[in-house]
Amino acid sequence: MRIYVILLTFLLLVSAFVAPGRAEVTAVKAGRILTISGEPITDGVILIEDGKIAEIGTGIEIPEDATVIDAGKSVVMPGLVDASAAAPVRGDLNEQSSEITPTFRISDALDPQSKALKRVVQTGVTTLFVSPGLQNVIGGMGVVVKPTGKIPQQMIVKDEAALRIVMDLDSTQGNRIPRREPAINFYYRRPGTRMAIIWMLRKSFFDARQQADSGQTEDPNLAVLSAALKDEIPIHVNARRAIVIRAALKVADEYGLKLILQECTEGYKVAGQLAERKIPVVLGPFYYYPGNTGQYREGRKVNWNNAGILAEAGVKVALSSGGQSGAIDILTAATFAVRHGMDRDEALKAITITPAEILGVADRVGSLEKGKDADIVILSGDPLNVTTRVEKVILNGKTVYQQTSGETS
Amino acid sequence: MKSRSHITFVSILLIVFMANSIAYAAPVRKKLAVEAGRIITIAGKDIKNGVILIEDGTIKAVGTDVEIPWDAFVIEAKDKVVMPGFVMAHTSDGLDRANENMPEVPFISTFDSIDPISTFFEDSLRDGVVAMLVLPGNNTLLGGTGTIVKPYGRTVEAMLIKRYAGLKISLQPSQNTSRMGHMQRFRRYVSDLKDYLEEYEQRKADAEEEKKPFDEDIDVTKQSMVDLLNKKLTAFIYCDRAADVPKAIEIQKTTELNTVLVLGPDCYKAADLIAKSKLPVVLDSELIIWETNEQTNEEEMKVIPMIFHKAGVKFAFQTDTSQYGRRYLWYQAATAVKYGMKREEALKSITLYPAQFIGVDNRLGSIETGKEATMIFLTGDPLDAQSWVDQVMIAGEIVYEKAKDERLKKLLEPPLVMQEPKDTD
Repeated sequence: MRIYVILLTFLLLVSAFVAPGRAEVTAVKAGRILTISGEPITDGVILIEDGKIAEIGTGIEIPEDATVIDAGKSVVMPGLVDASAAAPVRGDLNEQSSEITPTFRISDALDPQSKALKRVVQTGVTTLFVSPGLQNVIGGMGVVVKPTGKIPQQMIVKDEAALRIVMDLDSTQGNRIPRREPAINFYYRRPGTRMAIIWMLRKSFFDARQQADSGQTEDPNLAVLSAALKDEIPIHVNARRAIVIRAALKVADEYGLKLILQECTEGYKVAGQLAERKIPVVLGPFYYYPGNTGQYREGRKVNWNNAGILAEAGVKVALSSGGQSGAIDILTAATFAVRHGMDRDEALKAITITPAEILGVADRVGSLEKGKDADIVILSGDPLNVTTRVEKVILNGKTVYQQTSGETS
Repeated sequence: MKSRSHITFVSILLIVFMANSIAYAAPVRKKLAVEAGRIITIAGKDIKNGVILIEDGTIKAVGTDVEIPWDAFVIEAKDKVVMPGFVMAHTSDGLDRANENMPEVPFISTFDSIDPISTFFEDSLRDGVVAMLVLPGNNTLLGGTGTIVKPYGRTVEAMLIKRYAGLKISLQPSQNTSRMGHMQRFRRYVSDLKDYLEEYEQRKADAEEEKKPFDEDIDVTKQSMVDLLNKKLTAFIYCDRAADVPKAIEIQKTTELNTVLVLGPDCYKAADLIAKSKLPVVLDSELIIWETNEQTNEEEMKVIPMIFHKAGVKFAFQTDTSQYGRRYLWYQAATAVKYGMKREEALKSITLYPAQFIGVDNRLGSIETGKEATMIFLTGDPLDAQSWVDQVMIAGEIVYEKAKDERLKKLLEPPLVMQEPKDTD
């Protein structure tokens, strides 16, 4: 009897301590859940605990104290991942003092109050990769963030996520040799040609390798580059035209670099090579009219089905906004990719799990699976339909966007 | 000898007969019957499994119980959606240059500047557009007159629907002028024009009184503005910002012009004012804009077609080529439907309404008896991104077939020869 009393008191005490400490549970009920990692679930439930997915499937018992979000007949899918987003940064993205700035980190300049972030979350994007601008040959390191948090540290999913290299002519933009002053000038910037871009790249990696071989690590710039050489930091290379992509492959071969290609407008021309080398690509929005490509926008020879051809050849394809704030949202980008010939499932993966894998954050985001972050988008219908809209966005288990009737008036 | 002449006679007869039959098998068939899976008539309810009867390029009958005459050529489209082709009420694409650099050039015409080879027209046809009013750009006060064309034909003459239609007035101040100066320039032009007309009438009256012949024509540089005042032309007034709207309404009231407003995205703030004026509107191609709420510092999305739709304004969509979605009129309509606009109304905004605004609704804009047989055959619902325009018919003639669109194939298929070096070194 006494032992029972002791046990009972103990149990009561335990429950008294446990109950208030228990994490808040949210349950999302939906007619259709596109998990991306597996088959779609009909009439399923997602249990969210502590910002993570605790349970997903059918016939899951919803705890009594859980907050229930009933999505009704809406379609639920994982939060979208934009592998090349407009940077939520105030001020310029391009460092003008030097062309090679591998140590620079965009995470130092993040602005959690950025307008771009508040907008992007309403299009269903919950994870973004942002990096320094395109006017440096080696611009620095990008960061994977979520559009949430009051201070930059709360936004960051993965810092120093990739080194940004630009092989397109953007890095020559505005550069010229000053004719009057002596060429040694703070504002004197190279390169001026594609030859120079590739030369600077080669030189940088050559120096980094030499420094690594000598055992001295004096120059922090070279330290970052040798980390990239050792495959510790992934390399994102901007290359639009086929000749630039081929040049990138050549440099990669020389130094044993593992690349991820950004933009890749003419990727369809080298699809076989990219597939063979298992080089993933992050495509930007494509343009058809030469007049709108801008002076430095290359890749005029566009194939509308670039994404489809690359995916068909076996290349890992992610669809992104190409770092442009005015670009069409990536859900619509996927819709048009399917219109032009990409496989439906591939297109959905190209805005969720594939970019997550490319960015090395697939253990946290990109699909709806037990243990992953509770980043969920609720859509009014089929995701690949122009008339479908984003109804609700849940980020780390919290509703960060809710469609209101007010916004349309 | 006799039999030989017989043979010659018969062969001549045969040749004549064959030549005749060739002449009658011209591309435009006299009688056509379209058997469609679904007809979106725009004029009324959708028709399932209907028939459209066409004679001499004009629709003779539409319905489910239409009898197909024995001599009609039947176009089978039972797996297709047939609807009137899209109409663009305002565009400055397809021009060599859209803006003259002088502010008052009402006498120039886009007719002289349209480039039939421009990919814009080719794309428009591929996307189901059958008529468009090409007007000068938005940078010129009195920009010139427009031309209504179909995006089909090798010369502007072949494309022509109407040679002289619409006059562009832009209230957006051009370089180095203020809004004050811009408006004043307009008022002065109109008052000078009225003085000129008065003097002209006076001279005419004087000549009549003196019984002298009067053969003075109206100054050609002023003719189009005179036609505008006489309502022979419609004014397409471009408002860049909401502040331009009241001025456009003032111009419309004081000069009593037939007016269509062409709006910039900012003009949604004047939606109520526009609704009150009952003027027709061509919306900007940018349908969704973002604004920062100054009180809450929240980012707010403004869905422009919904704001005008709720205010009760009748509008048409237009396209631009800066983004791949905005290139399509159907995409514009679908975006509006996404945010709650009624489907029927959205479809009218890309067919019947623009046809009304540019004055071709007697021929185009809906599938009705008596209208021109101009329609598009779609592989699915018009607002579905996975649907394609399969065929375009203009006045009873099939002018576009997706299956024969070689350029589209090139845009979608991998390059034929992928020459890849085995080794990059």
